[in-house]
Amino acid sequence: MSEYLSATGLEVSFGGLRALQDCSFTVERGRITCLVGPNGAGKTTIFNVITGFLRPDSGTVSFQGTSLDGMKPQAIVAAGIARTFQNLRLFVDLTALDNVIVALPAQTGEEPLAAIFRPLHVAQAQTKRREEAMRVLDHVGLAARAHDHVRNLSYGEQKLLTVARGLATGAELLLLDEPASGLSAAALDQIMALLRRLQSEGKTLLVVEHNTRVVQQIADEVLFLHQGHLMARGTPEQIISDPALADIYFGGAI
Amino acid sequence: MDFWLSYATLAAIYVLLGLSTNLLVGIAGIFSVSQAAVFGVGAYIVAYLLMNEIMSFLPAMLVASAFCVALNVLITLPALRVSGDYFVVTSFGIQLLATAIFTNWTAGTGGANGLPGIPPADLFGKTLESSGQLVVLCLGAMALGCVAFWLIMRAPFGRLLRAIREDELAVAAAGKNVLRAKVSAAAMAGAFAGSAGGLYATFLSFIDPSSFDLDASILLLTMVVVGGARTLAGSIIGPFLLLALPQILTLIDIPTTIAAAARQLIYGVLLIAFMLFRPQGLAGEKL
Repeated sequence: MSEYLSATGLEVSFGGLRALQDCSFTVERGRITCLVGPNGAGKTTIFNVITGFLRPDSGTVSFQGTSLDGMKPQAIVAAGIARTFQNLRLFVDLTALDNVIVALPAQTGEEPLAAIFRPLHVAQAQTKRREEAMRVLDHVGLAARAHDHVRNLSYGEQKLLTVARGLATGAELLLLDEPASGLSAAALDQIMALLRRLQSEGKTLLVVEHNTRVVQQIADEVLFLHQGHLMARGTPEQIISDPALADIYFGGAI
Repeated sequence: MDFWLSYATLAAIYVLLGLSTNLLVGIAGIFSVSQAAVFGVGAYIVAYLLMNEIMSFLPAMLVASAFCVALNVLITLPALRVSGDYFVVTSFGIQLLATAIFTNWTAGTGGANGLPGIPPADLFGKTLESSGQLVVLCLGAMALGCVAFWLIMRAPFGRLLRAIREDELAVAAAGKNVLRAKVSAAAMAGAFAGSAGGLYATFLSFIDPSSFDLDASILLLTMVVVGGARTLAGSIIGPFLLLALPQILTLIDIPTTIAAAARQLIYGVLLIAFMLFRPQGLAGEKL
Protein backbone atom coordinates (compact mmCIF):
# COMPACT_ATOMS: atom_id res chain seq x y z
CA MET A 1 0.00 0.00 0.00
CA SER A 2 2.98 2.30 -0.19
CA GLU A 3 4.70 4.23 -2.93
CA TYR A 4 1.74 5.15 -5.07
CA LEU A 5 3.45 8.39 -5.94
CA SER A 6 6.84 9.13 -4.55
CA ALA A 7 9.27 11.97 -5.02
CA THR A 8 12.82 11.63 -3.84
CA GLY A 9 15.46 14.32 -3.44
CA LEU A 10 13.96 16.84 -5.85
CA GLU A 11 16.15 19.86 -6.55
CA VAL A 12 15.03 22.74 -8.75
CA SER A 13 16.77 26.10 -9.09
CA PHE A 14 15.69 29.11 -11.10
CA GLY A 15 18.88 31.08 -11.41
CA GLY A 16 19.90 31.77 -7.83
CA LEU A 17 16.54 30.83 -6.37
CA ARG A 18 16.30 27.31 -5.04
CA ALA A 19 12.66 26.45 -5.54
CA LEU A 20 12.97 22.87 -4.33
CA GLN A 21 15.70 21.62 -2.01
CA ASP A 22 16.05 17.94 -1.30
CA CYS A 23 12.31 17.60 -1.45
CA SER A 24 10.95 14.11 -0.80
CA PHE A 25 7.42 12.93 -0.11
CA THR A 26 4.92 10.22 -0.92
CA VAL A 27 1.25 10.24 -1.76
CA GLU A 28 -0.93 7.26 -0.95
CA ARG A 29 -3.52 5.80 -3.23
CA GLY A 30 -7.12 6.72 -2.68
CA ARG A 31 -6.45 9.59 -0.30
CA ILE A 32 -6.78 13.33 -0.49
CA THR A 33 -3.40 14.80 0.25
CA CYS A 34 -3.14 18.55 0.69
CA LEU A 35 0.03 20.38 -0.13
CA VAL A 36 0.27 23.49 2.03
CA GLY A 37 2.89 26.07 2.81
CA PRO A 38 3.52 29.81 2.47
CA ASN A 39 3.80 31.49 -0.91
CA GLY A 40 6.97 30.51 -2.71
CA ALA A 41 7.28 27.25 -0.80
CA GLY A 42 7.45 25.35 -4.10
CA LYS A 43 3.98 23.85 -4.30
CA THR A 44 3.32 24.66 -7.93
CA THR A 45 6.90 23.75 -8.79
CA ILE A 46 6.22 20.27 -7.43
CA PHE A 47 3.19 20.03 -9.73
CA ASN A 48 5.29 21.13 -12.67
CA VAL A 49 7.91 18.50 -11.91
CA ILE A 50 5.45 15.64 -11.41
CA THR A 51 3.59 16.44 -14.64
CA GLY A 52 6.71 16.77 -16.76
CA PHE A 53 6.50 20.50 -17.42
CA LEU A 54 9.71 21.09 -15.54
CA ARG A 55 12.74 18.85 -15.39
CA PRO A 56 14.29 18.81 -11.91
CA ASP A 57 18.02 19.43 -11.61
CA SER A 58 18.15 16.20 -9.68
CA GLY A 59 15.87 13.77 -7.90
CA THR A 60 13.25 11.41 -9.21
CA VAL A 61 9.49 10.96 -9.24
CA SER A 62 7.91 7.56 -9.60
CA PHE A 63 4.30 6.60 -10.02
CA GLN A 64 3.08 3.09 -9.23
CA GLY A 65 6.63 1.84 -9.30
CA THR A 66 7.50 3.40 -12.68
CA SER A 67 9.93 6.28 -12.94
CA LEU A 68 8.49 9.38 -14.60
CA ASP A 69 11.90 10.95 -15.15
CA GLY A 70 12.31 12.46 -18.59
CA MET A 71 8.74 11.68 -19.64
CA LYS A 72 6.83 14.29 -21.65
CA PRO A 73 3.61 15.78 -20.21
CA GLN A 74 1.41 13.80 -22.59
CA ALA A 75 3.08 10.54 -21.58
CA ILE A 76 2.53 11.35 -17.93
CA VAL A 77 -1.16 12.03 -18.58
CA ALA A 78 -1.34 8.69 -20.36
CA ALA A 79 0.28 7.09 -17.31
CA GLY A 80 -2.64 8.38 -15.25
CA ILE A 81 -1.73 11.76 -13.77
CA ALA A 82 -3.59 14.94 -14.74
CA ARG A 83 -3.37 18.44 -13.37
CA THR A 84 -5.21 21.72 -13.19
CA PHE A 85 -3.66 25.16 -13.14
CA GLN A 86 -3.97 27.86 -10.56
CA ASN A 87 -4.77 30.35 -13.30
CA LEU A 88 -7.19 27.83 -14.88
CA ARG A 89 -5.84 27.97 -18.46
CA LEU A 90 -9.19 27.07 -19.95
CA PHE A 91 -9.81 27.47 -23.67
CA VAL A 92 -11.98 30.54 -23.26
CA ASP A 93 -13.15 30.74 -26.88
CA LEU A 94 -14.43 27.17 -26.82
CA THR A 95 -17.56 25.88 -25.15
CA ALA A 96 -17.42 24.05 -21.84
CA LEU A 97 -18.19 20.84 -23.72
CA ASP A 98 -15.35 21.38 -26.20
CA ASN A 99 -12.95 22.07 -23.34
CA VAL A 100 -13.75 18.64 -21.99
CA ILE A 101 -13.72 16.89 -25.37
CA VAL A 102 -10.21 18.14 -26.10
CA ALA A 103 -9.01 16.37 -22.96
CA LEU A 104 -10.58 12.99 -23.74
CA PRO A 105 -7.87 10.47 -24.56
CA ALA A 106 -6.73 9.65 -28.12
CA GLN A 107 -9.54 10.44 -30.48
CA THR A 108 -10.37 9.28 -33.98
CA GLY A 109 -9.92 12.23 -36.31
CA GLU A 110 -7.22 13.98 -34.37
CA GLU A 111 -5.13 13.44 -37.48
CA PRO A 112 -5.95 15.56 -40.54
CA LEU A 113 -5.83 12.61 -42.94
CA ALA A 114 -8.35 10.63 -40.94
CA ALA A 115 -10.51 13.75 -40.79
CA ILE A 116 -10.47 14.10 -44.58
CA PHE A 117 -10.64 10.51 -45.73
CA ARG A 118 -12.85 8.91 -43.10
CA PRO A 119 -15.35 11.67 -42.34
CA LEU A 120 -18.26 9.38 -41.51
CA HIS A 121 -16.21 7.29 -39.16
CA VAL A 122 -14.94 10.45 -37.48
CA ALA A 123 -18.45 11.89 -37.18
CA GLN A 124 -19.66 8.69 -35.55
CA ALA A 125 -16.79 8.67 -33.09
CA GLN A 126 -17.49 12.35 -32.38
CA THR A 127 -21.04 11.60 -31.30
CA LYS A 128 -19.73 9.10 -28.81
CA ARG A 129 -17.12 11.55 -27.55
CA ARG A 130 -19.73 14.20 -27.04
CA GLU A 131 -21.78 11.83 -24.90
CA GLU A 132 -18.71 10.89 -22.93
CA ALA A 133 -17.84 14.54 -22.33
CA MET A 134 -21.43 15.26 -21.30
CA ARG A 135 -21.18 12.55 -18.67
CA VAL A 136 -18.03 14.17 -17.29
CA LEU A 137 -19.69 17.59 -17.24
CA ASP A 138 -22.74 16.12 -15.56
CA HIS A 139 -20.46 14.55 -12.97
CA VAL A 140 -19.07 17.92 -11.90
CA GLY A 141 -22.50 19.56 -12.14
CA LEU A 142 -21.96 21.57 -15.32
CA ALA A 143 -24.21 19.70 -17.74
CA ALA A 144 -26.53 22.68 -18.05
CA ARG A 145 -23.66 24.91 -19.14
CA ALA A 146 -22.23 22.49 -21.72
CA HIS A 147 -22.86 24.71 -24.72
CA ASP A 148 -21.87 27.98 -23.11
CA HIS A 149 -18.58 29.57 -23.92
CA VAL A 150 -16.12 29.49 -21.08
CA ARG A 151 -16.00 33.27 -20.90
CA ASN A 152 -19.66 33.25 -19.89
CA LEU A 153 -19.20 30.86 -16.99
CA SER A 154 -18.85 32.09 -13.42
CA TYR A 155 -15.48 31.73 -11.75
CA GLY A 156 -16.76 28.83 -9.68
CA GLU A 157 -18.04 27.08 -12.78
CA GLN A 158 -14.72 27.63 -14.48
CA LYS A 159 -12.97 25.98 -11.56
CA LEU A 160 -15.30 23.00 -11.82
CA LEU A 161 -14.55 22.86 -15.53
CA THR A 162 -10.81 22.58 -14.89
CA VAL A 163 -11.54 19.54 -12.72
CA ALA A 164 -13.78 18.14 -15.46
CA ARG A 165 -10.97 18.56 -17.96
CA GLY A 166 -8.63 16.66 -15.67
CA LEU A 167 -11.21 13.91 -15.18
CA ALA A 168 -11.78 13.62 -18.93
CA THR A 169 -8.19 12.45 -19.43
CA GLY A 170 -9.11 9.34 -17.46
CA ALA A 171 -6.33 9.99 -14.95
CA GLU A 172 -6.62 8.33 -11.55
CA LEU A 173 -4.33 10.80 -9.80
CA LEU A 174 -5.49 14.39 -10.03
CA LEU A 175 -3.23 17.28 -9.12
CA LEU A 176 -5.41 20.27 -8.32
CA ASP A 177 -3.78 23.67 -7.96
CA GLU A 178 -5.89 25.77 -5.56
CA PRO A 179 -9.30 24.48 -6.65
CA ALA A 180 -11.02 26.42 -3.85
CA SER A 181 -9.30 29.80 -3.99
CA GLY A 182 -11.45 32.81 -4.73
CA LEU A 183 -14.73 30.94 -4.45
CA SER A 184 -17.94 31.99 -2.75
CA ALA A 185 -19.14 29.89 0.18
CA ALA A 186 -21.66 28.05 -1.98
CA ALA A 187 -19.15 27.30 -4.71
CA LEU A 188 -16.69 26.21 -2.04
CA ASP A 189 -19.13 23.66 -0.66
CA GLN A 190 -19.83 22.43 -4.15
CA ILE A 191 -16.18 21.85 -5.02
CA MET A 192 -15.41 20.21 -1.66
CA ALA A 193 -18.34 17.84 -2.15
CA LEU A 194 -17.02 17.07 -5.63
CA LEU A 195 -13.53 16.30 -4.34
CA ARG A 196 -14.92 13.92 -1.72
CA ARG A 197 -17.09 12.25 -4.31
CA LEU A 198 -14.09 11.76 -6.60
CA GLN A 199 -12.23 10.18 -3.71
CA SER A 200 -15.09 7.79 -3.01
CA GLU A 201 -14.96 6.79 -6.68
CA GLY A 202 -11.36 5.73 -6.33
CA LYS A 203 -9.47 8.82 -7.45
CA THR A 204 -6.39 9.97 -5.61
CA LEU A 205 -6.06 13.72 -5.15
CA LEU A 206 -3.07 15.89 -4.47
CA VAL A 207 -4.36 19.36 -3.76
CA VAL A 208 -2.57 22.65 -3.28
CA GLU A 209 -4.71 24.62 -0.88
CA HIS A 210 -4.37 27.76 1.20
CA ASN A 211 -7.70 27.75 2.95
CA THR A 212 -7.19 25.95 6.28
CA ARG A 213 -10.92 25.34 6.62
CA VAL A 214 -10.91 23.50 3.30
CA VAL A 215 -7.80 21.58 4.28
CA GLN A 216 -9.37 20.54 7.56
CA GLN A 217 -12.50 19.36 5.82
CA ILE A 218 -11.08 17.38 2.94
CA ALA A 219 -7.52 16.32 3.70
CA ASP A 220 -6.61 12.82 4.87
CA GLU A 221 -3.04 13.93 5.03
CA VAL A 222 -1.21 17.23 4.84
CA LEU A 223 2.25 17.84 3.45
CA PHE A 224 3.74 21.05 4.80
CA LEU A 225 6.24 22.61 2.48
CA HIS A 226 8.63 25.38 3.44
CA GLN A 227 11.40 26.87 1.31
CA GLY A 228 11.26 24.01 -1.14
CA HIS A 229 11.56 21.33 1.49
CA LEU A 230 9.03 18.99 3.11
CA MET A 231 8.95 20.29 6.65
CA ALA A 232 6.24 18.17 8.17
CA ARG A 233 3.52 15.73 7.32
CA GLY A 234 0.52 14.55 9.26
CA THR A 235 -3.20 14.81 9.70
CA PRO A 236 -4.74 18.28 9.30
CA GLU A 237 -5.14 18.46 13.10
CA GLN A 238 -1.48 17.68 13.71
CA ILE A 239 -0.30 20.25 11.21
CA ILE A 240 -2.67 23.01 12.24
CA SER A 241 -2.02 22.57 15.95
CA ASP A 242 1.74 22.78 15.52
CA PRO A 243 2.62 26.33 16.63
CA ALA A 244 5.95 26.35 14.77
CA LEU A 245 4.21 25.59 11.47
CA ALA A 246 1.46 28.10 12.13
CA ASP A 247 4.12 30.68 12.73
CA ILE A 248 5.73 29.97 9.35
CA TYR A 249 2.43 29.81 7.61
CA PHE A 250 0.80 32.92 9.00
CA GLY A 251 3.84 35.16 9.14
CA GLY A 252 7.08 33.29 9.37
CA ALA A 253 9.03 36.50 8.91
CA ILE A 254 7.86 37.99 12.18
CA MET B 1 -15.69 36.90 -70.85
CA ASP B 2 -12.10 35.75 -70.79
CA PHE B 3 -11.38 38.33 -68.16
CA TRP B 4 -13.94 36.84 -65.79
CA LEU B 5 -12.65 33.35 -66.42
CA SER B 6 -9.09 34.27 -65.65
CA TYR B 7 -10.21 36.24 -62.59
CA ALA B 8 -12.13 33.21 -61.30
CA THR B 9 -9.21 30.89 -62.06
CA LEU B 10 -6.71 33.06 -60.26
CA ALA B 11 -9.07 33.61 -57.34
CA ALA B 12 -9.63 29.85 -57.04
CA ILE B 13 -5.87 29.34 -56.84
CA TYR B 14 -5.59 32.04 -54.19
CA VAL B 15 -8.40 30.45 -52.21
CA LEU B 16 -6.16 27.38 -51.88
CA LEU B 17 -3.42 29.71 -50.65
CA GLY B 18 -5.87 31.42 -48.33
CA LEU B 19 -6.82 28.05 -46.87
CA SER B 20 -3.15 27.24 -46.43
CA THR B 21 -2.43 30.53 -44.68
CA ASN B 22 -5.58 30.34 -42.60
CA LEU B 23 -4.75 26.84 -41.42
CA LEU B 24 -1.27 27.85 -40.36
CA VAL B 25 -1.73 31.42 -39.15
CA GLY B 26 -5.40 31.65 -38.27
CA ILE B 27 -6.04 28.25 -36.80
CA ALA B 28 -2.76 26.85 -35.57
CA GLY B 29 -1.46 30.30 -34.62
CA ILE B 30 1.87 29.78 -36.37
CA PHE B 31 2.42 33.27 -37.69
CA SER B 32 4.25 32.59 -40.92
CA VAL B 33 5.12 35.30 -43.43
CA SER B 34 6.76 32.82 -45.78
CA GLN B 35 3.78 31.04 -47.30
CA ALA B 36 4.50 32.61 -50.71
CA ALA B 37 7.87 30.86 -50.68
CA VAL B 38 6.20 27.47 -50.36
CA PHE B 39 3.72 28.49 -53.06
CA GLY B 40 6.69 29.36 -55.28
CA VAL B 41 8.47 26.08 -54.69
CA GLY B 42 5.31 24.22 -55.73
CA ALA B 43 5.09 26.35 -58.88
CA TYR B 44 8.73 25.86 -59.85
CA ILE B 45 8.61 22.11 -59.28
CA VAL B 46 5.55 21.62 -61.47
CA ALA B 47 7.03 23.94 -64.10
CA TYR B 48 10.29 22.02 -64.12
CA LEU B 49 8.63 18.59 -64.30
CA LEU B 50 6.29 19.60 -67.14
CA MET B 51 8.82 21.60 -69.17
CA ASN B 52 11.26 18.72 -69.12
CA GLU B 53 8.46 16.26 -69.84
CA ILE B 54 9.43 14.18 -66.85
CA MET B 55 5.85 13.37 -65.96
CA SER B 56 2.33 14.53 -66.64
CA PHE B 57 0.35 17.11 -64.71
CA LEU B 58 -1.28 15.04 -61.95
CA PRO B 59 1.83 13.18 -60.80
CA ALA B 60 3.76 16.46 -61.01
CA MET B 61 1.17 18.03 -58.71
CA LEU B 62 1.58 15.14 -56.31
CA VAL B 63 5.37 15.49 -56.31
CA ALA B 64 5.11 19.25 -55.76
CA SER B 65 2.60 18.83 -52.95
CA ALA B 66 4.67 16.16 -51.25
CA PHE B 67 7.75 18.33 -51.52
CA CYS B 68 5.92 21.35 -50.12
CA VAL B 69 4.56 19.28 -47.24
CA ALA B 70 8.11 18.39 -46.27
CA LEU B 71 9.35 21.93 -46.88
CA ASN B 72 6.62 23.59 -44.85
CA VAL B 73 7.14 21.20 -41.95
CA LEU B 74 10.85 21.96 -42.10
CA ILE B 75 10.48 25.74 -42.17
CA THR B 76 7.82 25.82 -39.47
CA LEU B 77 9.91 23.63 -37.19
CA PRO B 78 11.39 26.71 -35.50
CA ALA B 79 7.81 27.73 -34.61
CA LEU B 80 7.39 24.46 -32.79
CA ARG B 81 10.39 25.32 -30.64
CA VAL B 82 10.21 29.07 -30.18
CA SER B 83 6.92 30.81 -29.66
CA GLY B 84 5.03 33.42 -31.63
CA ASP B 85 7.01 36.60 -31.90
CA TYR B 86 10.34 34.99 -32.57
CA PHE B 87 8.96 32.88 -35.34
CA VAL B 88 7.69 35.88 -37.32
CA VAL B 89 11.29 37.02 -37.64
CA THR B 90 12.48 33.53 -38.55
CA SER B 91 9.88 33.11 -41.25
CA PHE B 92 10.64 36.60 -42.56
CA GLY B 93 14.21 35.38 -43.04
CA ILE B 94 13.03 32.22 -44.77
CA GLN B 95 10.96 34.29 -47.19
CA LEU B 96 13.93 36.51 -48.07
CA LEU B 97 16.12 33.45 -48.49
CA ALA B 98 13.59 31.85 -50.82
CA THR B 99 13.32 35.00 -52.94
CA ALA B 100 17.11 35.14 -53.19
CA ILE B 101 17.19 31.54 -54.41
CA PHE B 102 14.34 32.04 -56.88
CA THR B 103 16.11 35.11 -58.28
CA ASN B 104 19.65 33.84 -58.42
CA TRP B 105 19.46 30.14 -59.17
CA THR B 106 19.29 30.78 -62.90
CA ALA B 107 19.76 27.17 -63.95
CA GLY B 108 16.77 25.96 -61.96
CA THR B 109 14.35 28.87 -61.85
CA GLY B 110 15.42 31.00 -64.78
CA GLY B 111 16.42 33.67 -62.29
CA ALA B 112 14.81 37.08 -62.47
CA ASN B 113 13.73 36.40 -66.05
CA GLY B 114 11.53 33.60 -64.83
CA LEU B 115 10.42 30.47 -66.64
CA PRO B 116 8.39 31.07 -69.80
CA GLY B 117 6.56 28.45 -71.85
CA ILE B 118 5.28 26.18 -69.11
CA PRO B 119 3.03 23.59 -70.77
CA PRO B 120 -0.67 23.66 -69.92
CA ALA B 121 -2.16 21.20 -67.48
CA ASP B 122 -3.39 17.86 -68.74
CA LEU B 123 -5.82 15.41 -67.23
CA PHE B 124 -5.90 11.75 -68.23
CA GLY B 125 -4.05 12.40 -71.49
CA LYS B 126 -6.19 15.38 -72.48
CA THR B 127 -4.55 18.80 -72.58
CA LEU B 128 -6.54 21.58 -70.95
CA GLU B 129 -5.86 24.62 -73.08
CA SER B 130 -9.00 26.71 -73.15
CA SER B 131 -9.62 29.10 -70.30
CA GLY B 132 -12.97 27.39 -69.78
CA GLN B 133 -11.27 24.08 -69.05
CA LEU B 134 -8.74 25.73 -66.79
CA VAL B 135 -11.31 27.50 -64.71
CA VAL B 136 -13.11 24.20 -64.19
CA LEU B 137 -9.85 22.56 -63.13
CA CYS B 138 -8.99 25.32 -60.68
CA LEU B 139 -12.47 25.69 -59.27
CA GLY B 140 -12.54 21.90 -58.87
CA ALA B 141 -9.27 21.99 -56.98
CA MET B 142 -10.60 24.85 -54.89
CA ALA B 143 -13.74 22.87 -54.09
CA LEU B 144 -11.66 19.87 -53.02
CA GLY B 145 -9.53 22.13 -50.86
CA CYS B 146 -12.60 23.70 -49.26
CA VAL B 147 -14.14 20.32 -48.49
CA ALA B 148 -10.87 19.13 -46.95
CA PHE B 149 -10.62 22.30 -44.87
CA TRP B 150 -14.22 21.98 -43.73
CA LEU B 151 -13.72 18.34 -42.75
CA ILE B 152 -10.56 19.19 -40.85
CA MET B 153 -12.23 22.01 -38.98
CA ARG B 154 -15.17 19.98 -37.81
CA ALA B 155 -13.04 17.00 -36.78
CA PRO B 156 -11.28 16.65 -33.43
CA PHE B 157 -8.15 17.83 -35.23
CA GLY B 158 -9.70 21.25 -35.81
CA ARG B 159 -10.76 21.52 -32.19
CA LEU B 160 -7.30 20.50 -31.08
CA LEU B 161 -5.70 23.22 -33.22
CA ARG B 162 -8.05 25.84 -31.83
CA ALA B 163 -7.20 24.74 -28.32
CA ILE B 164 -3.49 24.89 -29.12
CA ARG B 165 -3.83 28.42 -30.43
CA GLU B 166 -5.45 29.43 -27.16
CA ASP B 167 -3.20 27.65 -24.71
CA GLU B 168 -0.53 25.20 -25.72
CA LEU B 169 0.42 24.35 -22.19
CA ALA B 170 -3.13 23.42 -21.27
CA VAL B 171 -3.33 21.16 -24.32
CA ALA B 172 -0.15 19.39 -23.25
CA ALA B 173 -1.61 19.08 -19.76
CA ALA B 174 -4.67 17.45 -21.32
CA GLY B 175 -2.36 14.74 -22.60
CA LYS B 176 -2.15 15.79 -26.22
CA ASN B 177 0.90 15.85 -28.43
CA VAL B 178 1.10 19.54 -29.35
CA LEU B 179 4.14 19.10 -31.55
CA ARG B 180 2.51 16.46 -33.70
CA ALA B 181 -0.65 18.53 -34.19
CA LYS B 182 1.38 21.54 -35.27
CA VAL B 183 3.47 19.47 -37.65
CA SER B 184 0.26 18.07 -39.15
CA ALA B 185 -1.14 21.58 -39.61
CA ALA B 186 2.06 22.72 -41.28
CA ALA B 187 1.96 19.66 -43.53
CA MET B 188 -1.63 20.34 -44.62
CA ALA B 189 -0.80 24.00 -45.24
CA GLY B 190 2.18 22.88 -47.33
CA ALA B 191 0.03 20.58 -49.44
CA PHE B 192 -2.47 23.38 -50.13
CA ALA B 193 0.25 25.91 -51.00
CA GLY B 194 2.16 23.43 -53.16
CA SER B 195 -0.84 22.44 -55.25
CA ALA B 196 -1.80 26.10 -55.61
CA GLY B 197 1.71 26.69 -56.96
CA GLY B 198 1.34 23.94 -59.54
CA LEU B 199 -2.00 25.28 -60.76
CA TYR B 200 -0.59 28.80 -60.90
CA ALA B 201 2.39 27.76 -63.03
CA THR B 202 0.30 25.87 -65.58
CA PHE B 203 -2.39 28.56 -65.66
CA LEU B 204 -0.05 31.49 -66.36
CA SER B 205 2.51 29.39 -68.32
CA PHE B 206 5.06 31.89 -67.03
CA ILE B 207 6.39 32.34 -63.52
CA ASP B 208 9.02 34.62 -62.05
CA PRO B 209 10.19 35.40 -58.50
CA SER B 210 7.94 38.46 -58.16
CA SER B 211 4.90 36.23 -57.67
CA PHE B 212 6.47 34.53 -54.68
CA ASP B 213 8.14 37.34 -52.78
CA LEU B 214 7.45 38.99 -49.44
CA ASP B 215 4.74 41.18 -51.00
CA ALA B 216 2.95 38.00 -52.05
CA SER B 217 3.19 36.58 -48.54
CA ILE B 218 1.77 39.79 -47.14
CA LEU B 219 -1.01 39.70 -49.72
CA LEU B 220 -1.91 36.22 -48.43
CA LEU B 221 -2.01 37.48 -44.87
CA THR B 222 -4.14 40.43 -45.98
CA MET B 223 -6.57 38.02 -47.63
CA VAL B 224 -6.94 36.08 -44.40
CA VAL B 225 -7.31 39.21 -42.31
CA VAL B 226 -9.86 40.82 -44.64
CA GLY B 227 -11.79 37.62 -45.34
CA GLY B 228 -11.68 36.44 -41.77
CA ALA B 229 -9.48 34.09 -39.83
CA ARG B 230 -10.40 30.50 -39.03
CA THR B 231 -13.45 30.19 -41.22
CA LEU B 232 -13.99 28.61 -44.60
CA ALA B 233 -16.05 31.58 -45.78
CA GLY B 234 -13.27 33.96 -44.80
CA SER B 235 -10.72 31.99 -46.80
CA ILE B 236 -12.93 32.27 -49.89
CA ILE B 237 -14.09 35.87 -49.57
CA GLY B 238 -10.62 37.30 -48.93
CA PRO B 239 -8.97 36.14 -52.17
CA PHE B 240 -11.98 36.91 -54.38
CA LEU B 241 -12.21 40.41 -52.96
CA LEU B 242 -8.55 41.34 -52.96
CA LEU B 243 -7.92 39.98 -56.44
CA ALA B 244 -10.75 42.13 -57.73
CA LEU B 245 -8.96 45.18 -56.37
CA PRO B 246 -6.46 45.61 -59.26
CA GLN B 247 -9.37 45.40 -61.70
CA ILE B 248 -11.32 48.00 -59.77
CA LEU B 249 -8.24 50.20 -59.83
CA THR B 250 -8.14 49.98 -63.62
CA LEU B 251 -11.68 51.35 -63.72
CA ILE B 252 -10.56 54.40 -61.80
CA ASP B 253 -8.36 56.34 -64.13
CA ILE B 254 -4.91 56.18 -62.58
CA PRO B 255 -1.67 55.91 -64.55
CA THR B 256 -0.33 52.37 -64.84
CA THR B 257 3.01 53.52 -63.46
CA ILE B 258 1.54 54.12 -60.03
CA ALA B 259 -1.09 51.37 -60.13
CA ALA B 260 1.20 48.80 -58.51
CA ALA B 261 2.21 51.20 -55.77
CA ALA B 262 -1.42 52.19 -55.21
CA ARG B 263 -2.32 48.52 -54.81
CA GLN B 264 0.33 47.99 -52.13
CA LEU B 265 -0.85 51.13 -50.43
CA ILE B 266 -4.41 49.89 -50.36
CA TYR B 267 -3.36 46.48 -49.03
CA GLY B 268 -1.49 48.24 -46.24
CA VAL B 269 -4.42 50.50 -45.40
CA LEU B 270 -6.78 47.50 -45.43
CA LEU B 271 -4.55 45.55 -43.05
CA ILE B 272 -4.37 48.40 -40.58
CA ALA B 273 -8.04 49.28 -40.85
CA PHE B 274 -9.23 45.72 -40.35
CA MET B 275 -6.90 45.12 -37.43
CA LEU B 276 -8.17 48.28 -35.76
CA PHE B 277 -11.84 48.22 -36.58
CA ARG B 278 -12.78 44.70 -37.57
CA PRO B 279 -10.18 42.18 -36.38
CA GLN B 280 -12.50 39.30 -37.18
CA GLY B 281 -12.50 40.21 -40.90
CA LEU B 282 -15.63 40.10 -43.01
CA ALA B 283 -16.61 36.55 -42.15
CA GLY B 284 -14.30 35.20 -39.55
CA GLU B 285 -13.00 35.32 -36.05
CA LYS B 286 -10.39 37.49 -34.43
CA LEU B 287 -6.90 36.61 -35.58
